[in-house]
Amino acid sequence: MIAAESDPQSPATEPKSREVVVAVRGLTKVFKDFWGRAKARAVDNVDFEVRRGEVFGLLGPNGSGKSTTIKMLLGLLYPTKGHIEVFNHSPRHVATKSRIGYLPEESYLYRYLNSYETLDFFGNLFRLPGGERKQRAEQLLEMVGLNQTRTRAVGEFSKGMQRRIGLAQALVNDPDLVILDEPTSGLDPLGCREVKDLIRALAQRGKTVILSSHLLTDVEDVCDRVVIYYGGRIQAMGTLKELLAKPDVVRITTPVLARETMERVLELIRKDVDGQKVKIDNPTQNLESYFLDVVERAREAAKETSGALSGHRVAAYLRGETPAPVNSENLLERLTAPQTPAAPAPAPKPVETVDSKKLAALAQPTTPAAPAVPPASPGPNDAQAGADLEKANEKLSSLLGKPK
Amino acid sequence: MQQIAAIIGLTWKAAFRYRLFWVIVTLLLGAVVGLPLLIKHDGTAEGFAQILITYTLGSVTALLGLCTLWLACGTLARDIEECQLQMVLVKPVARWQVWLGKWLGLVTLNAALLAVAGASIYCVIEWRARGLAPDQLFTLRNQVLAARDSAKPENVDQAIETETRRRLQELISQQKLGGSKPEAVADSIRDELKNEVQLVGPDGFHPWLIHVGASRGQLKGQPLYLRVKFNTSAANASGTFYADWLVRNPETGDAWPHEQMSLAPDTVHEFAVPADYVDDKGDILIYFHNPNKASMLFPLADGMEVLYRVGGFAPNLARGLGIILCWMALLAALGLAAASFLSFPVAAFCSLAILTMGLSSGTLSNVVSEGTVMGTNPETGAKTSQTVDNVMVPVFRAILHVINVVQQFSPVDSLSTGRNVSWKELGLATAEIVLLLGGILGIFGIFVFHRRELAAVAVTH
Repeated sequence: MIAAESDPQSPATEPKSREVVVAVRGLTKVFKDFWGRAKARAVDNVDFEVRRGEVFGLLGPNGSGKSTTIKMLLGLLYPTKGHIEVFNHSPRHVATKSRIGYLPEESYLYRYLNSYETLDFFGNLFRLPGGERKQRAEQLLEMVGLNQTRTRAVGEFSKGMQRRIGLAQALVNDPDLVILDEPTSGLDPLGCREVKDLIRALAQRGKTVILSSHLLTDVEDVCDRVVIYYGGRIQAMGTLKELLAKPDVVRITTPVLARETMERVLELIRKDVDGQKVKIDNPTQNLESYFLDVVERAREAAKETSGALSGHRVAAYLRGETPAPVNSENLLERLTAPQTPAAPAPAPKPVETVDSKKLAALAQPTTPAAPAVPPASPGPNDAQAGADLEKANEKLSSLLGKPK
Repeated sequence: MQQIAAIIGLTWKAAFRYRLFWVIVTLLLGAVVGLPLLIKHDGTAEGFAQILITYTLGSVTALLGLCTLWLACGTLARDIEECQLQMVLVKPVARWQVWLGKWLGLVTLNAALLAVAGASIYCVIEWRARGLAPDQLFTLRNQVLAARDSAKPENVDQAIETETRRRLQELISQQKLGGSKPEAVADSIRDELKNEVQLVGPDGFHPWLIHVGASRGQLKGQPLYLRVKFNTSAANASGTFYADWLVRNPETGDAWPHEQMSLAPDTVHEFAVPADYVDDKGDILIYFHNPNKASMLFPLADGMEVLYRVGGFAPNLARGLGIILCWMALLAALGLAAASFLSFPVAAFCSLAILTMGLSSGTLSNVVSEGTVMGTNPETGAKTSQTVDNVMVPVFRAILHVINVVQQFSPVDSLSTGRNVSWKELGLATAEIVLLLGGILGIFGIFVFHRRELAAVAVTH
């Protein structure tokens, strides 16, 4: 797993620094045909700023202008109107690009290079010395779980593996600004979580991350601030707290209460609030947390997979540490060691209004739901559980992708 | 430099992993090794050289030229179309570095392939030469597998022109033009003067004083080679004409007569004479006696030439390949310049069209010399379309001038006739073909590449 050294934190709700890394003012992009006639207005008069240490999300449906904005930030498209500054320079300023890492929406890597050659090539473009290039490539390959497929051509990789090597090349220069265009596209849930953990780890180190996605959960999980695009225009912008908070509603979460206690509480509440407006239920964890829990248990039972391995520690240089030489024994130990379970993200989800039957059920002591996959190391007599585990392993193998 | 080196390495890897490259390598080996095995020579040194040098080097040049154009268009245009270049240009690499890296990658790749082809040609020549008769082997070693400089009689064009003007003025002052146009009279005088210099009448003599010059020190003990060519005013039954030659040291007067020869007209003949007849100033006198009943004309341009050895074949071959490499560098620049703003198929088509135009310079040359593209009315002699001619003839003249810059170097001809490809010639080829023409294409290519919105390709697709 990609895991930050410290515990992942919830996204901050306020900008972490006042230093402006990216400034966009009045940005407009009109695509024209061969004869110079306007064909499409992809971005229309957009303004925003991204500050140091922020995880900034660009949200919007397909074709809303997110990728066009990103490509203008990178100097790959030129604005029709407006102004962009990245680290106080034009996006086409060559030296500034040494501070930027970019993961495009699709794999635009050289198909005939293998994963090690890919990282070595991009390391050369950043003028990294030979030793450092090699060390970073080793660490990144380990981090994204492609250490064992380093000599295979990138063109032979599955989409998920291509995303992983794409992510690795985006980080080879230890960038101050990381621009990720649909970073979780094509990744399995495990990979998605790893990428999100990595984004948090980068933000903790003061890196700025611009994330473009149409997957709302990705953005919600990691972003400090977002802009929402539609039709090339910004429809909403602000911190997630500002955008998502419902100030006229309150939620209280407690352990299971006795029926009498709960009735007393409800009675108290009904004195002030219409009963129809009060909702009560069991909090549920989201599907991602549940899936990761299942995978964790399956991994303990069968430690090998034919596809990309799940990533490991964030590369030492990305954590801001002096890199230690790669020790094969330690590496093996890390590869085979049980991973720390992913932090669950329980989000109580009010779904129903109160009725007395439900209240009675809720007041019963809770029995955990039977997991889809039984716990690791099933007892010799538990044949059914073993079969279930086998099925789960097969499913996971196919989800994680097999090397071609 | 590290970045450019990385892009050079990438270009090599891309070439190796394209099937086209391996097809070209196979064809190259086929041309270098297979062609001499398939085509039998006539047993003479000249025939041997024709097949083993002219054909093989010609094939190598053509194959590498096409391959270079194709790879040059592909390496840039496909990188743009498949968006890989976006990944490169978001790194701290200037666009000119990418362009230059790709160009250098192609040039170094060509250099490696030419080195392999050259080494193979050399080995095949050495191996196949063992099958020649001893006299032909001697001729081959001395006249073909050598680097020979040449000396010609002093250029008399200026003297002829001066004399033409003088005689014309004289006629004008004496009012003897008789109503003719002065330029027509001048042409007539010029032809007459040229004939005086070129023509040797029946039983006539013709001397040539040739300055071999600074190379005299190198000539001690080595033979000189007279390379002659003549035309005749009439044919005879045998198809050949007799020729008496005498070589004299202008200082000492020592003479060396050559036994009478029977030579065919309109053919280049080469024969050895002792070098001891070059005097201390580096001059040699050559006399010719025409014992035939027909006049013989030795053209000013290539009627008489003295060749002398200045080096071995291997370094000469290397320099010749160097000039071919200059051509490849120009083609690489052409392909990259086209790919800087065109899609792969369009860039490849345009580059090949330009190459074809370059190879058909004869048509351009005719247009320029006739002064018309559309032709003339046979009855009136007037040009069919003056407007088109006014635009196109200068354009054709400019194109022809550029083509001549490239075509003035002919390493394949030089190598197959044992002529020296000098360092000066190689330097000149590098300056004119690579730096001047390649530089112009490079500046144009980098300029348009710099202005291009690379992501627009993906967006518009």
